[in-house]
Amino acid sequence: KHSISSQVLPCYLSLVLPPLGLTAPPRPSHTLPCPRTLCPPQQSSPRSSGSVACKQFTEFLLDNNYQIVTFVLSAPSRLTQDVTYFCPFIGALRGIVTVTNYRLFFKCTDRDPAFALDLPLGVVSRVEKIGGASSRGDVSYGLVCKDVRNLRFAHKQMEDTLRKSIFEVLMKFAFPVSNGLQIFAFEYGQVFPENGWKVCDAVSEYKRQGIPNESWRITKVNDHYELCDTYPSTLAVPVNMPDEELKRVAAFRAKGRIPVLSWIHPESQATVTRCSQPMVGVNGKRSKEDEKYLQAIMDANAQSHKLFIFDARPSVNAAANKMKGGGYESEDAYQNAELVFLDIHNIHVMRESLRKLKDVVYPNIEDSHWLSNLESTHWLEHIKLILAGALRIADKVESGKTSVVVHCSDGWDRTCQLTSLAMLMLDGYYRTIRGFEVLLEKEWLSFGHRFQLRIGHGDKNHTDADRSPVFIQFVDCVWQLTRQFPAAFEFNENFLVTILDHLYSCLFGTFLCNSEQQRLKERTVSLWSYINSQLEEFTNPFYVNYSNHVLFPAVSLRHLELWVGYYIRWNPRMRPQEPVHQRYKELLAKRAELQKRVDELQREVTNRSASSSSERAGSPTRSITPVQTFV
Amino acid sequence: MSRLLTESSTFKLFTSVGLLQERMLSQSGVNARSRDVFGLRCLPGECVLQRAVMVRKKLTAREGRGWLSGTLFCTNFRVAFLPQDSPKPDDNADPVLLGDHDVALASIEKVVVVGPNRTKLVTPNSSLKFTPEELVLYCRDLRVMCFLFDRLTPDAQVLEITYTIAKTYQPPKPGSVLSFQNASLGSVEMKQFLSNRRRDVHMNWHESVSDWEQELERCGATGWRVSSVNDRFEMSTSLPKFIVVPQKVLDTELKKSFAHFNEGRIPRWCWRHPRGSDLLRMASFQNNIYHEKDDIRNLEMIMFGCQSSRCVVVELGDELPSPPDIQLAHSRLRALCLGDISTSVSVPDDKWLSTLESTRWLDYSRSCLKKASEVASLLCGAHLTVALQEADDRDMSCVVSSLVQVMCDPHCRTQHGFQSLVQKEWVMAGHRFYSRINYHRDNDKEEAPVFLLFLDCVWQLLSQYPSRFQLTDEFLLALHDSIHLPLFSSFLANCQRERCKRSQNLGQSYTPVNGWRDMLQPDSSSDPSDPPLPPVWDWDLQYSKHRRDRFTQPVPQTPPLQPLLNGNLNTNPDTNPDTLKLSDTIPGSVFLLSRGTFSSPANLLPWRSSSSGVYKKSHRRAASSENVPGLERLLKAWALNEFTHGLTSTPKPQGPLDPCEPLLPLLMGPCMGLWRECYLRGALHAQAFSHPIAANHPHPVERLAQEVQQLKDKLAQVSTSTDSHLPTKMAEPRRTDANLNQNSNNGTFLFPASRPQGRAMPRAAPPPTSTNHQTSRGPPPSSAPPFRPTHKNGSGSGKHTFLFGHSSGTEARHDQHYYPAANNAKLPKSNGSSIAL
Repeated sequence: KHSISSQVLPCYLSLVLPPLGLTAPPRPSHTLPCPRTLCPPQQSSPRSSGSVACKQFTEFLLDNNYQIVTFVLSAPSRLTQDVTYFCPFIGALRGIVTVTNYRLFFKCTDRDPAFALDLPLGVVSRVEKIGGASSRGDVSYGLVCKDVRNLRFAHKQMEDTLRKSIFEVLMKFAFPVSNGLQIFAFEYGQVFPENGWKVCDAVSEYKRQGIPNESWRITKVNDHYELCDTYPSTLAVPVNMPDEELKRVAAFRAKGRIPVLSWIHPESQATVTRCSQPMVGVNGKRSKEDEKYLQAIMDANAQSHKLFIFDARPSVNAAANKMKGGGYESEDAYQNAELVFLDIHNIHVMRESLRKLKDVVYPNIEDSHWLSNLESTHWLEHIKLILAGALRIADKVESGKTSVVVHCSDGWDRTCQLTSLAMLMLDGYYRTIRGFEVLLEKEWLSFGHRFQLRIGHGDKNHTDADRSPVFIQFVDCVWQLTRQFPAAFEFNENFLVTILDHLYSCLFGTFLCNSEQQRLKERTVSLWSYINSQLEEFTNPFYVNYSNHVLFPAVSLRHLELWVGYYIRWNPRMRPQEPVHQRYKELLAKRAELQKRVDELQREVTNRSASSSSERAGSPTRSITPVQTFV
Repeated sequence: MSRLLTESSTFKLFTSVGLLQERMLSQSGVNARSRDVFGLRCLPGECVLQRAVMVRKKLTAREGRGWLSGTLFCTNFRVAFLPQDSPKPDDNADPVLLGDHDVALASIEKVVVVGPNRTKLVTPNSSLKFTPEELVLYCRDLRVMCFLFDRLTPDAQVLEITYTIAKTYQPPKPGSVLSFQNASLGSVEMKQFLSNRRRDVHMNWHESVSDWEQELERCGATGWRVSSVNDRFEMSTSLPKFIVVPQKVLDTELKKSFAHFNEGRIPRWCWRHPRGSDLLRMASFQNNIYHEKDDIRNLEMIMFGCQSSRCVVVELGDELPSPPDIQLAHSRLRALCLGDISTSVSVPDDKWLSTLESTRWLDYSRSCLKKASEVASLLCGAHLTVALQEADDRDMSCVVSSLVQVMCDPHCRTQHGFQSLVQKEWVMAGHRFYSRINYHRDNDKEEAPVFLLFLDCVWQLLSQYPSRFQLTDEFLLALHDSIHLPLFSSFLANCQRERCKRSQNLGQSYTPVNGWRDMLQPDSSSDPSDPPLPPVWDWDLQYSKHRRDRFTQPVPQTPPLQPLLNGNLNTNPDTNPDTLKLSDTIPGSVFLLSRGTFSSPANLLPWRSSSSGVYKKSHRRAASSENVPGLERLLKAWALNEFTHGLTSTPKPQGPLDPCEPLLPLLMGPCMGLWRECYLRGALHAQAFSHPIAANHPHPVERLAQEVQQLKDKLAQVSTSTDSHLPTKMAEPRRTDANLNQNSNNGTFLFPASRPQGRAMPRAAPPPTSTNHQTSRGPPPSSAPPFRPTHKNGSGSGKHTFLFGHSSGTEARHDQHYYPAANNAKLPKSNGSSIAL
């Protein structure tokens, strides 16, 4: 494989990045203009202020201090005339394309204000040549992207070597894994003030929940991932289940994913536990240890003599799994347990649904049939089922004070969605920025949601049946919650969009790999390093910290909306009419400033009247109760 | 009071509604301001018919969800719910028709009870075989009130109140409206009270000559005059008494024009865009026989208004829904949102979106907004006259003309401005509210909620531009609900003529005399069965202060326009030579705008068509088509607007907002929202819990803005108290404000400049100088930013303000911040005195 690069290299001009200052705004170090950012960051650079438009199409204009070797197509001066980007909204645009090992950057040359396109190659799902050379000798190729858009470029046919090069360079760097190269995250060397990998520590998170306690203990049985290689090393299990028995339980659960604690109710001690399906099979196999285990989970909660098992799948699918050795808990074998199917479909149905959604929203939207087209994608219906499932779980735990066990087939897709959403509803801590990071680290990353397979980082096999938008659905559900409870979340929409952008970007190590065991934290930067170093970008000004409140969203389709700010953000017409985000910030600043002023003046008054009557001072300020406490 | 109770408890003996009415009438007035022992504040003459204790009311998402316990009442006017811990009502306060949890009997459409295993629709003649656990009232305004009876509620009370409500809610038959009016407003006290009410002086009622003159002045519209040619409704029965026509046309000439238009609705001036274009509306042409030369000359002058160069006729018939379309869409929407009431079957969730689409309600909103956007961009971009033409000029032209003004005129986005607008373009212009709402249920063919469609469109604008509206969706909702109450003079007539007829009969107080709002002494001899009706804008009468406070939000102040030169931004002769060249004798070109394209069909103006020979003889046919490309460019620019905004616009907050810039809505499928707070209020959900702030009613930004405002007030307060020790009383608060403004200059658009003296002065420290208000309005303090035009001419004559021009209310309404007092070139007479105080 090295031979390719040595063949290719001579064709390129080798550069160090700052010269690619096209993109690099001189300062704000980590400014990340979100694609739907409503207003440009305050930048002094004339270029960036002139090219507000780029932001529409820009994923990130990170600070480009990272030093990497980039490959710019040779003879840029010649390419200037030749590369055309077919924007579905504006039309053909001519400009220069620059491809680095991280991104594709297109800068339009014949348009004012400047138009630019900055695309991390990780977003590319496939690169295809479109048609043959046309009469004018143009070569055209399309990029199908994972973030609900497609891009099309064309350039004049040039000497054969060069034409091949663009395509090949894209094929090579967009799919490093398929080419035996490293994913860019391993080369990204940005240093952030905070190390995001330290955000979540399993033990301290359990400690926050009060674990270990008299019913639950922390076990190190999986310390070297020998019990279950897709589980984290630290697990919380019932006290009266010794490690030896855990191993026998693991034998009965698919992929060894035994029931373990995700969350415990601080008062009722009702718990949310997660696992994979039992290996019941067609013969209805039973496991004494597994039955004892679930009994132990139930016993750990004195408030209830029942246990709810939520199987995320439709019952038909669950039954069909028996043929493959899996299945579900029979209520005969598990006394006092009640099994509920949540009817959430599998990864393939979800993938198809998102594909349809993309067809409906990109690039053109049919206004007169918009709603029925949207309906036909079933996307919102799936969102509803997931939210409804999580709501039932949260309701059982909160209102019913009953412990629940959640699983699907392997317990790493739908189970992640359900437990994390239920925890988000139940525990206000997860609704803070850090809490949400912990939630993702714990329920998704450490419990082995297979990000590598579901997203296909750097893999050119775009038809892989393992790919599925499971995580996107989860973030969509979170967004739905933020819509219904605008003051309950510390983070804003930008936070969610940023997470999804970096789900694909391959800039950070967070979403790489399939499990905690595989993840190489030391060699990459965590997304949370980046996010936590500029929290103001991601903070919801209306957050009120009422951590003890449980959210019960309305899950009827009547109350769900399509997340326009994510799925239709590429359409310039969908731009919000008002920079509300900006106004939030300004109001907060204004309020802080005025509060300060009032305080100062108040103090002055107090000082002056101190001699006469010191009593009445101070009260007027207190009479204003700020609507919220967070600034 | 106790007598009331005893009588009402024996009510069950009376089953006939008629009997009931008699009893109440005989009773009314004896106990004015009566109060039930359970704390319900009754209107004078209102009596409690039945009561149930220990009832819980289900709260909507807006109210914070959950349950509220209290007592349920049924009176002869409303179903009232009084929460347990509500404060003791003040007996001396003015009566308020509806409490926060009340519903008027006339709003109720269906009464449904839920029993142990069943749901039953209760009709006046129903008898129940079970004790209801839940009482659900489906209202015509799409509210659903749900009451839960506790086990502690006596069964007898449960049954009785259910029967009582079922018997007394407005049965859909003629005559019930009147009895409902009498129940609420019919008592002697109530009549007296209503007669003594002054009407809101902050809005323009468009009833008198001076009202219209004020509007002309506000818009800076010169070249127009108010004609009273229709004073006795002889020219047109459906037009108001006063109409605005070109100055050049004399009344005698004008009179000849009426015959050429359907219902005599000749082209009339509605509004002038600050860039100088005029908006007109008219009915279709009729009687297309033109004899005299003068006839045609006048018609042309009326059509072209003050712009003799170009006129665009916008035909509203072909692209907008017809009233029956709207009616059908709305009834589908109702059915969808409320579900089938009696069977409680509703559209399954998985069909929700397509069913919503098939109601076409959103489509219709979109088409109205689209049409209005086209007109707004025309007015904004060119210098011409736009005449909206609709067959009878009483439905869609109301929608479009008022939407255009909401888009273009910031004044119309304030509560009072909006009320003035509705008064101008709907109430006075003769929208047939009475028939369209069909209060008496006797004319289903005419029923069509055109006004509700308009409110939906305004809501769409509001939701896309939340910070550009001073009115809130709470206000729109209140207006939406009031439509369904047959109590308001604004809606209980089809035109001003009918309204006048009624009030003449009554001699009641809401009729102005030549624009002076001094009230007549109530005519005590008026027929007791016919109470005086208040206008819908008398919100104090309708809602508690608590609710009214949420009608408005602080808005960033739009910087006023550059000083207007003769009321017209474009009158600079250099910029538009065309206008000069064309004298009033040569009519210009006229175009038809239809389906997004311009044309100039030969028969557009019937008198110019070939069949009418008179025109050709005397008039040179203006070459018309050369202007088409220019106009089409304008429209294209609009179509691309959403686009260019997305691509090129530097976000607005950086600079001051251009007040001329119309609020053009995005109209793509995903941009058309459903007004959930209105239409889905009835969709009750199982969730009985919410985050305390979840239902935070005001837009979060509003809340924060209010907080900032509070702090500013605080600051003003504190700084005055600081200043009390200083010799310079005046300078201090002003300086504070000026400083704040300077801060806000740095990129914030929140309170860009100029909230300053007008507010801080009279309020924080009423200085001795403020009595001489006129002179104090000299040059602003040097520290103030130069946003505001300085009126060098202290007398203000000849100056026109487009924005908040009619802002006399500043001092009167301390809670309002958006009227810069100093902007007011000429204070309306009625108000001048309040400032001097």
